[in-house]
Amino acid sequence: MEIKILGTGCPNCQRLERVAREAAQDAGIQAEFVKVTDIQDIMAYPILGTPGLVINEVLKSSGRIPRKEEIIAWLKEAQ
Amino acid sequence: MPEALQYAVYLLQSGLGNLASYLAAHVLLCLLPAFFIAGALTALVPKEAVTRFLGRNTPKYISYPAAALAGSVLAVCSCTIVPLFAGIYRKGAGLGPAMTFLFFAPAGNILALAYTGVAIGGDIALARIILSVTFGIGIGMIMALIFRKDDAQHDLETNGMDVKATLHRKTLIFLLLLVALLIAGTLKVGLLTNSYATITLPISGMDRFQSFLYQLVPFDGAKGEEGVSAQGAILIGLLALMGLTAWRGLGKVDEGFNRWTWVSLGLIALTFLTAAVGMVPHAGGLDILLTGKMFGVALSMVAIALVAWKAFDPYDIQEWLWETWRFVRQIFPLLIVGVFVVGMVRRVIRPEWIQALAGRNTFLGAFAGVFFGVFMYFPTLVEVPIAKMFLDLGMHRGPLLAYLMADPELSLQSILITSKIIGPKKAWTYVALVALFSTLSGLIYGAWVDGASAWVLLAYLAAAIGALALALTVIDRRNRRVATAPAHGTE
Repeated sequence: MEIKILGTGCPNCQRLERVAREAAQDAGIQAEFVKVTDIQDIMAYPILGTPGLVINEVLKSSGRIPRKEEIIAWLKEAQ
Repeated sequence: MPEALQYAVYLLQSGLGNLASYLAAHVLLCLLPAFFIAGALTALVPKEAVTRFLGRNTPKYISYPAAALAGSVLAVCSCTIVPLFAGIYRKGAGLGPAMTFLFFAPAGNILALAYTGVAIGGDIALARIILSVTFGIGIGMIMALIFRKDDAQHDLETNGMDVKATLHRKTLIFLLLLVALLIAGTLKVGLLTNSYATITLPISGMDRFQSFLYQLVPFDGAKGEEGVSAQGAILIGLLALMGLTAWRGLGKVDEGFNRWTWVSLGLIALTFLTAAVGMVPHAGGLDILLTGKMFGVALSMVAIALVAWKAFDPYDIQEWLWETWRFVRQIFPLLIVGVFVVGMVRRVIRPEWIQALAGRNTFLGAFAGVFFGVFMYFPTLVEVPIAKMFLDLGMHRGPLLAYLMADPELSLQSILITSKIIGPKKAWTYVALVALFSTLSGLIYGAWVDGASAWVLLAYLAAAIGALALALTVIDRRNRRVATAPAHGTE
């Protein structure tokens, strides 16, 4: 499974990555984390605000930090 | 002491004095609530509630005002400005509204408005918001017209802004209560500034402490300088304590409420109350004046706490506090350095220079303001103390507004980012338009200050915008006819 964090490096993006890593650990899912920091690459997704969370190339959230439970649900769904 | 050293000490003293009086006078009741509002806007308002009005198929009379609204509500930090700008341009309403958004965001957000209003004057804050909305929309429309061919290309792409989300009523009430806290603390009307009761605390020595402070930080009231009162010194102490506890208490609140969270929230409430009462030290003790302001601030704080407790999820409140602290940590240190440096610089600049260049409301004066604004880069909000310095040194309010309009809109950094997204040709057209319109706003506002009737000026402004809108509509209609009619045509 591939998890992408979209964001130019602001504190919110770092926090999203932390929450997402915790979620993957709690769910017991092996995932590869990719940070997308270039604005052109970020804009390839239908996103309006950073940070964005992409699981297996599907945009799950943008402009906010989802709760850990939400991310766990998405991860299980994508498995 | 050698003269040079003496001068250095003098400059240092001015810097510290400026910083202390700013911390004591402006920061607490104005900036602190504004930071909490900015945090709430980021954490609690879903972006889609505004951006769904920015889709491709939205009519112009909705998308342009919505873009301005997005600028003031959603874009408090550069983290959001750039992606949102690119999003509106590429996937949403197109170049025009994107430019409106870019123009309005730095001038129309709650932090800039509250700070301008309190530090310089409500009239400038109001002029700043009215003129940035009108010119923001105007610049957006002109850009859309000039580059309409490029823009038409984007129409082929899909509409990515159809997500539905609404603002909850509890969020709206919460935001209004925070605004009430800001207004109760800063509005200067009799109801709020009058004192309704006095308590005398038997603390002796406060009057000597205050005159010691006045000696330590000398000031000249005639030049618009402020000293540090005993109350100011207490507040600065509280502010420092707040910063220390918030580091642990609010900085780590995303992992859950901890002991420090409660300590720092308590300190914040205490500081608000201390800042809202009046304090008069005298030989017999310390008089505490219970002002209308204090009751207003106390009432709003109780209401905010109640709504936060009853209506919101603890997670939402954690998010709110965390975002607020993030803004403070991001903006406040630079602001402190900026105010300190401004305090030193104002000693070096001769008032005659400013008065000769921009002492009256002339084209040259307004242009000088804009020129300085474009080529100097200052961190977020530092433009405000700089403007205050110019005002104290004798700058006319017209050129001052021109400077205030141009400075946060344009900097080398923002021009580079903009041109990366929309291309250098469009970016430099935008720069030229901003310079032109900022000069114009300075002149218009300056004329109003000098006594021209507000209604006449507003009529001119409305007529200019009306003519622009009409011209754009006509051209737009004709383009559409040209585009649809010759299906077998050349293009």
